Amino acid sequence: MRAAVDHSRPGLLDWLSSKRVAPYLFVAPVLIFALSLFLGPLSFAAYISFTDWDGVADPKWVGLKNYTYLIGRDRFFWTSIWNTLYFAAGSVILGVPSALIVAALIAQSRFQSFWRTVYWLPMVTNIVAVAYIWWYILNDTNGLLNRTLDLFGLPGPNWLTSTSMSMFSVILVASWMSLGQNILVFLSGLSGIDETYYEAARLDGANPWQVFRHVTIPLLRPTILFVLITSLINALSSFVLMMILTEGGPARSTTVTGLYLYDMAFTDLRLGRASAAAYILFAIIFVISLIQLRLLRRGGVEAH
Amino acid sequence: MRLTSGRRLLAALAGLMLTAAPASSQPTTTTIRVATHYNAQQIAPMLACFRQYEAEHPGTRIVHQQVSYEDFIQTILISRVGRAPVDIYNLYSIWAPQLIATRALDPPPFEIERFVRANYTPAAIGAATIAQRLWGIPNSVSVYQLVYNKKLLEAAGFSAPPRTPEERMRIAGAITKKNRQGNSVIGGYAFDLSGANVTHVFYSEMYAARVPPYTADGRHTNLRSPTALAILTKQTELFRRGITSNSVLAVDFAGGGVGMAVMANWMKDTLRSVLGSRFEETVGVAPIPTDGPGGTMIYSFFWGVDAASRAKPQSWDLLRWLNSPRGHGGLSCTGAMLAGMGDLTGNRADLSAMRGQTADPFSQAYIAALAAPGAASQPNIWHASEVDRLLKYYIQLAWAGRMTPAEALAAADGDIGAILAEQP
Amino acid sequence: MAQPESPTHPARNRGALLGVLKYTALALGAVIMIFPFLDMFLGALRTPAERLALPMVYWPHHPQWHNFVRVFTELPMLTWLANSILVTSLITAIQMVTSTMAGYALAKYRFFGSKALLSLVLGAQMFPFFLLIIPIFFLLRFVPLAGGNDLLGQGGSGLLNSYAAMILPFAVTWYGIFLMRQNFLGVPNEIIDAARMDGAGEFRIFATVVLPLVKPSLATLGIFVFLYHWNEVIWTMTVTRSAPDLQTIPVGIYLLRGAFIDQSTFSLQQASVFISILPVMILFLLLQRYYVRGLTAGAVKG
Repeated sequence: MRAAVDHSRPGLLDWLSSKRVAPYLFVAPVLIFALSLFLGPLSFAAYISFTDWDGVADPKWVGLKNYTYLIGRDRFFWTSIWNTLYFAAGSVILGVPSALIVAALIAQSRFQSFWRTVYWLPMVTNIVAVAYIWWYILNDTNGLLNRTLDLFGLPGPNWLTSTSMSMFSVILVASWMSLGQNILVFLSGLSGIDETYYEAARLDGANPWQVFRHVTIPLLRPTILFVLITSLINALSSFVLMMILTEGGPARSTTVTGLYLYDMAFTDLRLGRASAAAYILFAIIFVISLIQLRLLRRGGVEAH
Repeated sequence: MRLTSGRRLLAALAGLMLTAAPASSQPTTTTIRVATHYNAQQIAPMLACFRQYEAEHPGTRIVHQQVSYEDFIQTILISRVGRAPVDIYNLYSIWAPQLIATRALDPPPFEIERFVRANYTPAAIGAATIAQRLWGIPNSVSVYQLVYNKKLLEAAGFSAPPRTPEERMRIAGAITKKNRQGNSVIGGYAFDLSGANVTHVFYSEMYAARVPPYTADGRHTNLRSPTALAILTKQTELFRRGITSNSVLAVDFAGGGVGMAVMANWMKDTLRSVLGSRFEETVGVAPIPTDGPGGTMIYSFFWGVDAASRAKPQSWDLLRWLNSPRGHGGLSCTGAMLAGMGDLTGNRADLSAMRGQTADPFSQAYIAALAAPGAASQPNIWHASEVDRLLKYYIQLAWAGRMTPAEALAAADGDIGAILAEQP
Repeated sequence: MAQPESPTHPARNRGALLGVLKYTALALGAVIMIFPFLDMFLGALRTPAERLALPMVYWPHHPQWHNFVRVFTELPMLTWLANSILVTSLITAIQMVTSTMAGYALAKYRFFGSKALLSLVLGAQMFPFFLLIIPIFFLLRFVPLAGGNDLLGQGGSGLLNSYAAMILPFAVTWYGIFLMRQNFLGVPNEIIDAARMDGAGEFRIFATVVLPLVKPSLATLGIFVFLYHWNEVIWTMTVTRSAPDLQTIPVGIYLLRGAFIDQSTFSLQQASVFISILPVMILFLLLQRYYVRGLTAGAVKG
């Protein structure tokens, strides 16, 4: 503890450490960041989206041309949006209920930290590794999955090489990777449910499935909605797995909009159009998020 | 840990990082940076030459940097290579139009032009020429042919490779073997998923039919021609009948898993290292199967100098030295590197000096293909990489049966035509 | 952390059966989680001949353990490792500093603009990263007087191809600020006021009085950030594509994929991928207790 300070001559340091000034210093780095590396880039991207720019010559103003091109004349743009929605819906529908079920099972089991660790391992694996691990497993002829299916006399689909199966496979891999995260969230949500609810239900003679359906899920509702929202938003923005696992193919069947615009920007150097595509995709994600928030509020959950 | 001292340390570190200046040359040393996509093994002969040049020219330092092939042009245009500007590039010729339009290349001095015209074949010079102007010293020349596994063909009862697409389908159909799940164990004919193998193979077949994929002015495509349609239809037929698929890849040829594929000459290196002593008895080379008079596609690289280089005269001097015959068997440094990779060159002196190394049937077949009529250079069209990728997309859609070949080619023509119309 | 035990249902055969089913299901899921890693490990040990055999030999008869050594001798793995450690540590340290400082200010002070800043922190998390990749990339390229640029930011490569480019865009994490704010809200004001009355300056209070009280969530945040950024690929790849000496482990492996084009080099690639996941896995196994503890300490609720 400091000795009494001589306040008769307050110095610069004292002023800076005062209750009035200190908060500004505390937030100064974040403010600088917000301006230069968040708001600045967002505005810059908005500006570029109204120009034709290759990153080398000067940007040329073209107004709404990029937007009208993407929305009206780009044959593939809407296909990529469809791919994005398909992937997002698929990975949420597959991933969230699975995570919930697994979490519920873990919560009622022993060796919890063992299960938790095992299910979380894919989450700490870098996406390059995940992509390559599954690329080998999903190989049509030699991959572990098809060879295992062959042991049971089952057919071996063309997981990554068929235009109709490829996105489904990507959904599987993405769900595998993110399962652990959602399990953890559900686990902490489950741990917050009071034992008395379970006891009451059991005293009423409910079997475990009924307990799950009528006690656990309703009480877990805020967590479920939270997981649904975050999973959906993450899935809508996700494109790196497709880039590495399938390179967006075959025949662009796994090219989501994020990947499409990344290649547009960094391979074709069409920065104006790519920025416009980014904002269109963002608008779609934003609208979907708003709709979800509406649902959340109607569910009667207090916002954080 | 007391936060304040930690914070100070961080600030110091950050400041160091931010102000880290690029390695600047000493006052008396000129550093020449060379960027290629060659890996350490491939560039090794050149590195030895670099050391020799440095010894003969004290005060010069030569540094090589490898840049991934897929990102090369973007790297040059956007981020420049590495943390210091690069002086010399090994450029794929189709990258040149965009680079020239953004004034990223230095036009060679007159002596270099004279040197090139005196020492290189017309095809090579053509590849380094854009809009009637020479932009560098030609490097490697690559050409496509049909490569086939003699053993697999014999086992299926064929002693000669196919000359037409129909024969191709028949032979490939006989070779293809599948496991009980219906997945291919041996593929009769392989394409690949990379842009080179999809689009270049298509171009090669078009050149074999003597119909170039693009008009001479580079502003329109010939994709709606009956020739293009026939080519794509017959390719698609291979997929439709299950003779080939997206999982049958040309890279599996070396391991004996593929009967036939169209490949460039530089695959010789890989094939030889995997097949070893069985190389000559296993691998055969034949002209690309076609209903037309025959031909193929050539593509080339050339050495160029960055327009912003601070060592332009030194760079051109170095390039001239690297491409002039040296003591060892008369091969230039570049020639030695290319020979090691199984690559071909447009340098006349190197071609004759390489005769020993290229005496094997594999290389001879490719050299003959280079000299044959119908061997045409890949056109350096506007935004060529983007166009190639777009064409690959539509070709794959046709292969997958999601579009008919006619629809796919028409759509490709529309999209590509729009891009070509953008050029100045 | 609350650990709900098995529900106390009457001991019936059905209960035992359900128990068996439950553990079987969990074990099956665990196999699906783990086996892919094992498959990769086995792949690293195969010889080219075993790969090319028809059908491919699954269990390696002659495990090529030296492939794991080759990863370090034939690939720049040590460079990648050094870069990963350096960049991830710096990002983590910087984010801890900015998150705690801003979180504290937003929790314990009322100052002009604090409400707006809080809204920014909450709202900014809605903006996906792909929206920022392109503009930040070019803003970094055009920084004046950096990387060979002139006063107008032309001519060179700016801050690209530098550690600054890899770190600066991640100097702040909105979620981290939010998390720390939640934690600081729980610190009783009396403690702070008491310290003030003793004459301590605000920074001293922050560092010596308040920070130690939130150590668990500091650890959580630190581990979370470290793991996330060790594995970060897309931004790192975008800014180091042309600077191989700066690449981190996952980025380096991915950008070298052109070198692994045929069966003979696949095992080396699989070995390098396996090595790439080891450090994080070990770290996670050692530290996951703290991570989970911090997560469940009230931070994750919807």
